[in-house]
Amino acid sequence: MAFLEIDGLKKRFGNVEILKGIDVELEKGGFLVLVGPSGCGKSTLLNTIAGLEQITEGEIRVDGRAINDLHPSKRDIAMVFQSYALYPNMTVAGNIAFGMEMRGVPAAERQAAIDKVAKILQIGHLLKRKPSQLSGGQRQRVAMGRALVRDPKLFLFDEPLSNLDAKLRVDMRIEIKRLHATTGTTIVYVTHDQIEAMTLATKIAVMRDGEVQQFGTPAEIYNNPTNIFVADFMGSPAMNLIPAKIGANGSGLSVVLDREARQPIVLPMPGAPSGLAAFKDKPVIFGVRPEALTDPEGAERNASSIATADCHIEVVEPAGSDTFAVTNLGGKGVVARLRADANIQPGTSTPLAFNLSKAVFFDPATEKRIL
Amino acid sequence: MSAVASPASQAASGARARTFNRIVIYGLLGLFAIFYLMPLFVMLVTSFKTMDEIQNGNMLSLPHAPTFAPWIKAWSEVCSGLTCVGMKGYFWNSIKMVVPAVLISTLLGALNGYVLTKWRFRGHTLVFAMMLFACFIPFQSVLLPMATILGSLGRFGVTLQNATGFSFGLGNSTVNLVFVHVVYGLGFTTLFFRNYYEAFPTELVKAAQVDGASFFQIFRRIMLPNSLPIIVVTVIYQFTNIWNDFLFASAYAGSGDVMPMTVALNNVVNTSTGVVEYNVNMAAAMIAALPTLIVYVVAGRYFVRGLMAGAVKG
Repeated sequence: MAFLEIDGLKKRFGNVEILKGIDVELEKGGFLVLVGPSGCGKSTLLNTIAGLEQITEGEIRVDGRAINDLHPSKRDIAMVFQSYALYPNMTVAGNIAFGMEMRGVPAAERQAAIDKVAKILQIGHLLKRKPSQLSGGQRQRVAMGRALVRDPKLFLFDEPLSNLDAKLRVDMRIEIKRLHATTGTTIVYVTHDQIEAMTLATKIAVMRDGEVQQFGTPAEIYNNPTNIFVADFMGSPAMNLIPAKIGANGSGLSVVLDREARQPIVLPMPGAPSGLAAFKDKPVIFGVRPEALTDPEGAERNASSIATADCHIEVVEPAGSDTFAVTNLGGKGVVARLRADANIQPGTSTPLAFNLSKAVFFDPATEKRIL
Repeated sequence: MSAVASPASQAASGARARTFNRIVIYGLLGLFAIFYLMPLFVMLVTSFKTMDEIQNGNMLSLPHAPTFAPWIKAWSEVCSGLTCVGMKGYFWNSIKMVVPAVLISTLLGALNGYVLTKWRFRGHTLVFAMMLFACFIPFQSVLLPMATILGSLGRFGVTLQNATGFSFGLGNSTVNLVFVHVVYGLGFTTLFFRNYYEAFPTELVKAAQVDGASFFQIFRRIMLPNSLPIIVVTVIYQFTNIWNDFLFASAYAGSGDVMPMTVALNNVVNTSTGVVEYNVNMAAAMIAALPTLIVYVVAGRYFVRGLMAGAVKG
């Protein structure tokens, strides 16, 4: 039995269904990231776990106990808010201790808990200050301290890093990851940033329009997206989704990619997924991540199926660590990721290696993965 | 001036035009200020003059021999109608009315604003619209119905008195006025607090809920401590209105020793036995005006700030 279980959760506002039957579970000590574009219902889902919003149907269990009818304070959870929600009239110590004070914890015990958390988060020198006297990163720490001090069963984070500047965000991301590793807490974390999702999560739920599109480990989500939305949403730069056709190649299949004013590229597919045979001579969406499309020297050595084809390079973007080359296939700009020192010129034809063992196919009608 | 002026002469003429504009603007502002402050000045100087000086001298001249006698007389001897015990009793009447009325209406307004923004219920906009409507009701139109209600409350007070030996203040004029001012102040105080709390971050309330604070704990520990600007605005507004109110005061406590300051002042000025003592009248008027002045001076800088906060974010 999982530690956090959400069964068939539905949430309606009047006639509008915000959450349309969510099923998610998380093991003890796990890190679940709810990710999706704005308006997908991820924050609402988090609020229902916190008890700040009531659910219409379904059940939420923590450690085997149904909590969906309990008051937020009785659920043994702590929450870190996007705006940090520090009480402006109290000092840092007062903020951290407020929850304990409301629960009637004796002052001496409170002080000990504050000191312990201040040590973990290195905010001991800030305890007497007011939130307005803190920087963004310090406020973030205090907000985490307020959650940590309670030692709850479940931590909820609502886009905690979105108000920080880019560099601080990376620092705090690592900090949260370290905190999770050292304290072994169970965390549910909402973000719209897929990099945060990939780096932090043990489990990711990709959401859209109140539904979980895919639920799995970061590697599953990244390598085996179940539909076009997940494939497109996760990964930066995004996966190339190229309109293509399935052709016959002797006894096997091949992928045919149209090009403007040039011969189509035909990539033989020896180990094609079985479902693909039904799409012979039909259109499919051919998905290949930028790192699976590279120069032949940089291609993965032990990949089982690599096909090379000459591509006309339109744009070259040196990004420092990598060089991105843009070519046009099937009427769309396609990004290839090359080594930083790859010798490549825009306006020339260069052979590119397609790592077909990492490629995925989608049905353009249903947008679902073809297995 | 030539068509092509040199930059230097342009700058010089620009500076001259600015100086001229300044003179006009500050001159006008000064004129308005003098016009506005003139009555206050006359009141103040007159209240320190002797009757001889008032009758023979210039209204605007400073007192030759300043005397506190009119103030002392106004405070403790002046006649209001037939009773000649000064303004002090009426002054305390007003204080006893204004302090509870301001505190209660401000607190209830804050509570209303808190519920209307952070604990929304079905129909909250309608409730707010109806409370806003209270701001626009002409007070004259409620004089008679309110008199009937106060009369019923008074009779109920007598019944209570007979039954329990204690009337719970029902029927008492000061309590009546507090009640009336709380009821008619609620529309304004609710409006002020609702607009302030509308911009108040809801996440703070949610965080406090997760922290285990109850409805009133959140109100007392989170909302009120962060509402100083709007509390000051409301207190000043309510204090000034209630202190200066004449209509309700004269209608429901218009005679005897329960009169508030405003009614008593009116009676003092209208009492005509012999010579009209302008200096005493002016001193009495100054005494009546002092509390609101003091409230403005003490808390005025928050007033503008709070009004701005409401105006920009509301």
